[in-house]
Amino acid sequence: MLDRLFRCCKLLRMAPTQAALAALVLTAASSPPAGDVQQIPPDQARAVLGEMVTDADGKDVGRLVDILVGDQGQPQAAVIDFGGFMGVGNRKIAVDWNALRFTPTDTQHPITLNLTQDQIKAAPEYKDTAKPAPVVVAPAPAPAAAAPASEAPR
Amino acid sequence: MSHGETRPARNARALDLVNFFIADVQTGFGPFIAVYLTANKWTQGQIGLALTLGTVVALISQLPAGALVDSASNKRVAAGGAILGVMAAALLLASWPRQLPVSIAQTLHAFSSCVLTPAIAAISLHLVGHAALGERLGRNARFASLGNGLTAAVMGATGSYLSSRSVFILTAALCVPALFALASIGRGEHAREQTTKTPFDWPGLRELFSDRRLLIFGLCVVLFHLSNAAMLPLLGATVTMRAGSVANVIIAACIMVPQGVVALCSPAVGRYAASMGRRPVLLLGWGALPVRGLLLAVLPGAWLPVAAQAVSGVSGAVFGVMLPLLAADITRGTSHFNLCLGALGLAVSLGGGLSTAFGGWIADQAGTPMAFVALAVVGALATLVLWLLMPETNQDSATGDQSRTGSPTRPPPAAGSV
Repeated sequence: MLDRLFRCCKLLRMAPTQAALAALVLTAASSPPAGDVQQIPPDQARAVLGEMVTDADGKDVGRLVDILVGDQGQPQAAVIDFGGFMGVGNRKIAVDWNALRFTPTDTQHPITLNLTQDQIKAAPEYKDTAKPAPVVVAPAPAPAAAAPASEAPR
Repeated sequence: MSHGETRPARNARALDLVNFFIADVQTGFGPFIAVYLTANKWTQGQIGLALTLGTVVALISQLPAGALVDSASNKRVAAGGAILGVMAAALLLASWPRQLPVSIAQTLHAFSSCVLTPAIAAISLHLVGHAALGERLGRNARFASLGNGLTAAVMGATGSYLSSRSVFILTAALCVPALFALASIGRGEHAREQTTKTPFDWPGLRELFSDRRLLIFGLCVVLFHLSNAAMLPLLGATVTMRAGSVANVIIAACIMVPQGVVALCSPAVGRYAASMGRRPVLLLGWGALPVRGLLLAVLPGAWLPVAAQAVSGVSGAVFGVMLPLLAADITRGTSHFNLCLGALGLAVSLGGGLSTAFGGWIADQAGTPMAFVALAVVGALATLVLWLLMPETNQDSATGDQSRTGSPTRPPPAAGSV
């Protein structure tokens, strides 16, 4: 009985992430011919769920745990499990997709976040999937970046 | 091979080590599992379910596990089986982080923990008897918090510099010295009258669960954890917000400082509970809750809240010593010590489970400082209930006259209330 409950809830709750992952892989794979199986080596596209995100200095920021995807299938924001010690005090925050840089060839730091930890430390927690996500966007590159702006995407 | 005088001392030291290593082992479970499963590509929904499974199994098994330990004629065997269960759970988690094995591991760990905690208390009671139990439980708490604090430090280091899997391998490895220490504890001198003859002794159960002292203390325990459990996670979130990249060091300090305080003052708590009576000590521990909550609400910056965590060490020490001590008081002369511990464990789980929901909700509605204030208010309420309703349970003649009356109408001066 417990098992059925488990499976049932799993189906419900895994769907968005799986869709997002599939979307990500497809974006990276540049439209394969229909029906064929294309082999994509990990240095061209890699799985990102649960991967460590590092900042520009190579320091750990947190793990990428979910992706917000728009109606065209394009990723809008990444959800990062940020901060904490041994599971205490960590919090999920959403960061603008454009603030992330993916380097599949770099096995040590495949995902880099273009924000410092101090820029994202005060970001509100992303917890309710039904409400607007508070996404931290990168400071505009032209003027010398001041404070990070947090806003809902739409 | 010496015997006679040295035997109790040797048993006592072995029990110290058991407490130390078991605390080590339990540190890896808990919030860290979420980190580990995230690293293994689990979705947040799946992780939530796995954690909920552990919580639910723990809730369901408290009472049956307590009854099981009551019916075990050798509590050391029960404890050994439970340690093996925890070890198997850690190995499963480390080697096979998939849904079914993790579900099994969570179930196994939750049930084993529900057996292990009362079994250790029962072994302590067998070794020293009721009269010296307070002091013994103080030692237990001291070594457990030493184990907790040290392991949190070591595991924090291994978890961030090696892989998160190494935490569970280390956990499983630490079960081995725990088992060796357990095996070297001899049969206690106070072991008689502690085992149920039938697995289900209904009249005895009815008597236990209609004991007014258990019901009142159970309520105090629920309120204690309703106030206590959400404070550390909320504090961690606050520290992460305020400190950014050094937050993990501060949170580690927030976890280890109270452990240090518990290690320092638990033996004194046990001694005072024996000499002054249970009520003043209980009031001190419960009364520290609102103090801590208010300190957390007002202390600014990222480092200052660590000071408030020292206060939590006081309530932690009192709680760790007094919960099994009161269970022993309440069940004195019966064989339902472990069942009583199970019932109080249930109260802990209930209060703790409600606390995170309650604290999180207030934090969402009115901000984290208000959540700390609300938790402090619950702590004050818990202290008030304890002060007004809880009778003295110490039945040893050595206790002072004031605290022996057991009358709730004439409470002693509030020791620790705000």
